[in-house]
Amino acid sequence: MERRLQQVFFALSLLALALILAAAWQANTPTWKTYQRNFLQLEAQGEPNAVTKTAVLATPPEIHQVILTGLQRVDRCTTCHLGAEDPTMKNAPEPFRYHANLGPHIPSKFGCTICHGGQGLATDKNGAHGKVDFWSSPLLSRDYIRASCGRCHKEGDVPGVPELTEERRLFETQGCRGCHKLKGVGGSIGPDLTAEGANHRAPEWLEGHFLAPNAVSSGSAMPNFHFSRAQARALTYYMLSLTSEEMGSYYSSVRLIPGPEYGRQLFVEKNCIACHAMGGAGAKNGPDLLGVTTRHSPQWIDEQLVNPELVYPGSSMPAYDLEVNARKALMAFLASATVEDAQLILSRRTRALTPADVAIEAGKQDFARFGCVGCHGTELQGGVANPNAQGGEVPSLLHVSDDYTKDEVIAIIRNGRAPPLENTSGPTPPLYMPAWKTVLSDEDIHRIADYLWSKQQKKEKDSW
Amino acid sequence: MNPIREIWQSIVRRDPLSTDKGKSELVFLNVWLHIHPAKVKRENLKFRHSFYLGFITFFLFLILITTGIALMCYYRPYPPQAYQDMKDLQFVVFMGPFLRAMHRWAAHGMVVCVFLHMCRVFYTGSYKKPRQFNWVIGVLLLLLTLGLSFTGYLLPWDQLAYWAITVGTNIGSYAPLVGGQLRELLLGGHSVGEAALLRFYVLHVAVLPSLLILLTIVHFWRVRKDGGLSRPVWKLKAEKDAQLVTIGAPTETAPLQASAASSNKTYGLMEVVTGKPIFETVTPEEEEDTVFSYPYAFVREAVTLMATVTTIMLISLFFSAPLEELANPARTPNPAKAPWYFLGLQELVSHSALLGGVVAPGLMVLALIAIPYLDRNPSRRPGERKWILWLFTFFVVANLALIVVGTFFRGPGWALVPPWVHVVGGTE
Repeated sequence: MERRLQQVFFALSLLALALILAAAWQANTPTWKTYQRNFLQLEAQGEPNAVTKTAVLATPPEIHQVILTGLQRVDRCTTCHLGAEDPTMKNAPEPFRYHANLGPHIPSKFGCTICHGGQGLATDKNGAHGKVDFWSSPLLSRDYIRASCGRCHKEGDVPGVPELTEERRLFETQGCRGCHKLKGVGGSIGPDLTAEGANHRAPEWLEGHFLAPNAVSSGSAMPNFHFSRAQARALTYYMLSLTSEEMGSYYSSVRLIPGPEYGRQLFVEKNCIACHAMGGAGAKNGPDLLGVTTRHSPQWIDEQLVNPELVYPGSSMPAYDLEVNARKALMAFLASATVEDAQLILSRRTRALTPADVAIEAGKQDFARFGCVGCHGTELQGGVANPNAQGGEVPSLLHVSDDYTKDEVIAIIRNGRAPPLENTSGPTPPLYMPAWKTVLSDEDIHRIADYLWSKQQKKEKDSW
Repeated sequence: MNPIREIWQSIVRRDPLSTDKGKSELVFLNVWLHIHPAKVKRENLKFRHSFYLGFITFFLFLILITTGIALMCYYRPYPPQAYQDMKDLQFVVFMGPFLRAMHRWAAHGMVVCVFLHMCRVFYTGSYKKPRQFNWVIGVLLLLLTLGLSFTGYLLPWDQLAYWAITVGTNIGSYAPLVGGQLRELLLGGHSVGEAALLRFYVLHVAVLPSLLILLTIVHFWRVRKDGGLSRPVWKLKAEKDAQLVTIGAPTETAPLQASAASSNKTYGLMEVVTGKPIFETVTPEEEEDTVFSYPYAFVREAVTLMATVTTIMLISLFFSAPLEELANPARTPNPAKAPWYFLGLQELVSHSALLGGVVAPGLMVLALIAIPYLDRNPSRRPGERKWILWLFTFFVVANLALIVVGTFFRGPGWALVPPWVHVVGGTE
């Protein structure tokens, strides 16, 4: 018995040793080493000098990694994708092929996964391509990869991706914020979209959802907006780019180069001329902006644009959601703007300015900014489907003064309202008027009411 | 004298192992081995008496210390670097996945073996006099093992870790009055975050292991002082034999008194302490039942050690330790589950937070500690302690059943879903 036990002990010790060796062998033969050997052979093929050839083949295997502190990631993709920056590898088989059209986006500065997705830390194929359990951002397919441009190019023109530029404008003007929050501003009927791109939904799901919300997500309250395929694709790009990642300053500063042209565009879009004049041309409710950059420091103007009330408590200027580069662009425009610029902008307006325009413009700004237009329409026409609400759709606001006083409308905006039912025994309509009092100040609400009243059309019966 | 022999002699300082004196001195003169007696009872060595579960548990702990120290070299206890270090272990560190898998599976194994060891001790009635307090220390060791496993569970900082600890610590917060504060003290905040990770790390690598080692030393020492393992019940012939051999404090059956020997005999300190003359402790009959620790006990321990090590290695070679996505406080998995050994508790909590989360486990631990003092029946024969065996079996089975239900039969929203039914969108 004792002799037998000693033999068992000896055998088990040998087994333990064998297992350690097996584990070491397993650890020592990862697939990336095979790839590196193959790559070296590929490199050595075209090498005429025998000495160099031997030297190339003798290169020890090692993990290549790009540590990107600004992007909070470590990319080891180049451990296998060894020819990504080598133009002679243009026709090499994958994973060694040269990456054409990198432009300024060199891997040593940007890595790979910020655009391509996948798991930068991994050193095996499936893991690196993110096609494993518990890694939720697999490689983005070729069709959707341009969405990644929007991760750094967060505003202004996205070079080479007009869809993104267009989509951002669409998002702000079509009233998506009526139901969806983005960076803290917007309604609460739909999900917050601030980090939608980090939710790792499949791009195909998103695109299908925009084309027919109910087809991919049954019972979705989102109305079918009958987007075109191109618009749905653009929206998908935009959603994928919304990751709310913290980007290092190197990456946030390359978003766009702020210039006066973009500033002029913003000046028109935000309707600054409704309050401010430029050398006398324009409204007189705010200070004249001609030469404002010589009177105030850039920091002062920047603060004024971020939060006017911080500079002048009680300021009637609304706060605009302008990102740092938009503010820079606006300042660049203000520095160069002349009376002629203001006159040109005024002459292109569809409607002449009146003194009431201040409140109305501010109200209009709020109406678009807080997403009221999403349900009530850019022209207050309403018409978004809302099953089992009276009329089956969101009402038009063009005749609201016929049925309500201004105070009643203000109360409805403040406290919200469930829509009256078409069929009292039917289901609750998916869309309702949220209470805005926690989001909007009383002043904002009054301005919106002013804006509504400025748009009222008299009913046909008046002409009887 | 041959100088090499001289050096060797200066190290071992004992006679050759071929002699009985040498075999005894191997134990007596060695600081590590002298927790053993020089001779042990033959029947105590039988595998089917103890299944060597205590040894297996201890060896798993040795594996955990070894692999744990190695892992500490690669780990930074703050998010999100902690998670990145897990990924580095998985993808870059030489034999990293093997190391982590060994630590993980040995930890689960230790929880299982500690529990089985407790069951064995209960079923053989070995918690009875004079071993009552050693049972209590054993219960504390069980709790420390659970604590070590629980604190280690958070360290990978993935979704599994984050939500298991969130759920686990929430269970604790149901305790009236102090529950919330205890949770806050443990987490260093109101939710699992940076502070919690650091605290769990400190508990896991310093506080709890030190306590565990300390109590293990006491546990072993008392086993030794109580005359080794309790004698197997099939060896008990008479009522007198049911009494455990005591080397230690005087008892009613062996009060401190001079034997009938002459009054001018001088007693050594050892004899005063044990209450018996040294040379009368072992009868010739008993002497026949004992064997030298070397090689009989040692070879069995060595085989157990190697069997434990190879088993863990074998499992680790084929099954890697799980690692999910980076912890994300904004995305709750549905259902969020505590570590498996707390799933019975979570199951109870799902029925009643206070009863299931505080009262039931509290009573359970108190009852476990109190068992040797409540059970006044001196007999260790199964036939004479039927009802208490049934009671214990009931609790063991109920606990296991709750864990099985919690692990395999609970789906999204803690709804009853059998494991063979696939729930679509279960992670949303």
